[in-house]
Amino acid sequence: MEKYPNKMTVCDVSVHYGDKRALGGVSLDIPENQIIALIGASGCGKSTFLRCLNRMNDEISGCRVAGEILLDEQNIYAQNVDPVLMRARVGMVFQKPNPFPKSIFDNIAFGPRIHEITQSEAELKDIVHSALERVGMIDEVKNRLGDSAIGLSSGQQQRICIARAVAIAPEGVLMDEPCSALDPIATAKIEGLIEALAADYTIVIVTHSMQQAARISQRSAFFHLGELIEVDGTSKIFTSPNDPRTENYITGRFG
Amino acid sequence: METKISPRYTDMITRSLKRRHRKETCLRFFGLTSILFGLAFLVILLGNIANNGLSALLQTYVELEVTVPDSALLDAEGKVSEEVAFDTNWDGLVKKGLRAKFPDASGMRERRALDQLVSANAGFDFKTRILHNPELLNQPLTVWFKTSDEVDQYVKGNMNVSVDESQRRLSDQQLAWIDELAASGLLERRFNTSFFTQADSREPESAGILGAAMGSAMAILVMLVLTLPLAVMSAIYLEYFAKPGRVTDFIEVNINNLAAVPSIVFGLLGLAVFLNFFQMPRSAPLVGGMVLSLMTLPTIIIASRAAIRAVPSSIRDAALGLGASNMQAALDHVLPMAMPGVLTGTIIGVAQALGESAPLLMIGMVAFIVDVPTTVTDPATVMPVQIFIWSNSAERAFYEKASLAILFLVLFLIVMNLTAVLLRRHFERHH
Repeated sequence: MEKYPNKMTVCDVSVHYGDKRALGGVSLDIPENQIIALIGASGCGKSTFLRCLNRMNDEISGCRVAGEILLDEQNIYAQNVDPVLMRARVGMVFQKPNPFPKSIFDNIAFGPRIHEITQSEAELKDIVHSALERVGMIDEVKNRLGDSAIGLSSGQQQRICIARAVAIAPEGVLMDEPCSALDPIATAKIEGLIEALAADYTIVIVTHSMQQAARISQRSAFFHLGELIEVDGTSKIFTSPNDPRTENYITGRFG
Repeated sequence: METKISPRYTDMITRSLKRRHRKETCLRFFGLTSILFGLAFLVILLGNIANNGLSALLQTYVELEVTVPDSALLDAEGKVSEEVAFDTNWDGLVKKGLRAKFPDASGMRERRALDQLVSANAGFDFKTRILHNPELLNQPLTVWFKTSDEVDQYVKGNMNVSVDESQRRLSDQQLAWIDELAASGLLERRFNTSFFTQADSREPESAGILGAAMGSAMAILVMLVLTLPLAVMSAIYLEYFAKPGRVTDFIEVNINNLAAVPSIVFGLLGLAVFLNFFQMPRSAPLVGGMVLSLMTLPTIIIASRAAIRAVPSSIRDAALGLGASNMQAALDHVLPMAMPGVLTGTIIGVAQALGESAPLLMIGMVAFIVDVPTTVTDPATVMPVQIFIWSNSAERAFYEKASLAILFLVLFLIVMNLTAVLLRRHFERHH
């Protein structure tokens, strides 16, 4: 693992929704340019944890986050950090494909536009094209960039969402069960895409599919009842986990 | 065993199905009946109003022969002069034309009774016409003049002539003259254009709706310009920025309460604040619009909040996840998707404001105004108030005008709603 420096370091993070503790004392290293999978039963806190990593939890009223999350040595929950900048540096892809009800072009151009990354319309076009190339969709949609993204299939929509996230060249991409609403063929495409993206981005993915975690991730973290039980190389987790609860979950005895 | 049980269940389900179907038929019947009932009332109401009001579209005119001498319009140098025209007795010219038809009428009383057959504004209308066409001077003209409203009502059959002479507004002598004029083809019913081009008047035959319609349109415009941005911004703030807590709850409760406050209270507020404190002009559509905007603000805020809440949160998440600020997420994505709902709320608000008269009475928009307003600070009245004023008048002709004004108001409403519906369609198509 030494050849991958840590992109993010999580130190003793707890999350409360009002009085209810959703997550307690999680510490975890997220290595750069690797895929780390978060697994665990529904309601175990993995999505909550994921949303902490780019401060999306700020938008949920009554949600409090304690502890430290370092992105390149900087605590993202420090007073002087702007959550908007954090979200630009660490993008997010959601469970249900959620393209804006606008054209394909406008969907992908939204990020570069609001961050005023480009100087000219030609530059913006380049960014949109390379983002679509990145997700392998350029041939499918290059002649209908003006069409509404809502008309695409859900697999295509999800890839548009990924293209939208990478168009602003974030350092990390968080994915919350990106394939759970898709059919196996679309899933396979997205999995291939995620593996290819790992060359440039640090990826954290929440998944309910053991096979998916095994297929694409280098490291896996098992969450259970709001706690991080175990984190290790994916092959280690799936073949000889240290904790019996991890083994039970992986072998399907509960969860 | 299972094969024995299943046919028994089927029987029971079949029996219950019959009952359920009967209930459903019953419900459907009641639903249909209430809709038909409502429709019938609407038809009766509109039919009745149309029946009363449509005759106001026509106005009775009388044909008279008049010659206007040069001296009525031209000054000493032979130029058209408004001052000379102002001094001329135009009413006298018209009356002369009428007396020429009935040379027998003699004596002060009889002549005055004869004079009453033409509109009191006939001379004024005639002056305006000749001023614009000075080439008509000094030649015998055949001119159609408006008759007075009593003659108009009699010709339209709206006057009960079977009662004693002292009980009606036209004497037997006058009726005889009218019948004579009608028999010789000198009376004609023509389209009453002045109803759509003039403001209020003491004489029903000259009274028009344009002044009130302009007043209404200006007040609604002011209301929209003030309310829409305020309401949308308040709704966005309350939905996305306000921290939940006592203060926010307090604001929410009060907005809901304000929506239920009787409209006249907003009129009193406008009187106290806008007129008395800020010394704004009385009877002005500007102030009317401000009062109406106070009144409709809660309604539109509530509707806008509901529309914003109905936008899936995934859209906002998507924008925030890309590093959009809260404001960018709200304005770029949520608001366009909420726009159809916001517009629906606005339609309701506008319809409410358009039919409102009570708060406007408080700020003086109930005045008698004969000029069509041209700016928002000109004194004006609005259509519901105009209807109220006319239906309060004694003349039968005003009653007819009030009915026509109601039809016009309904038409106005339909046009505005249609515009809003088309706008909403437009937004729905693009998002």
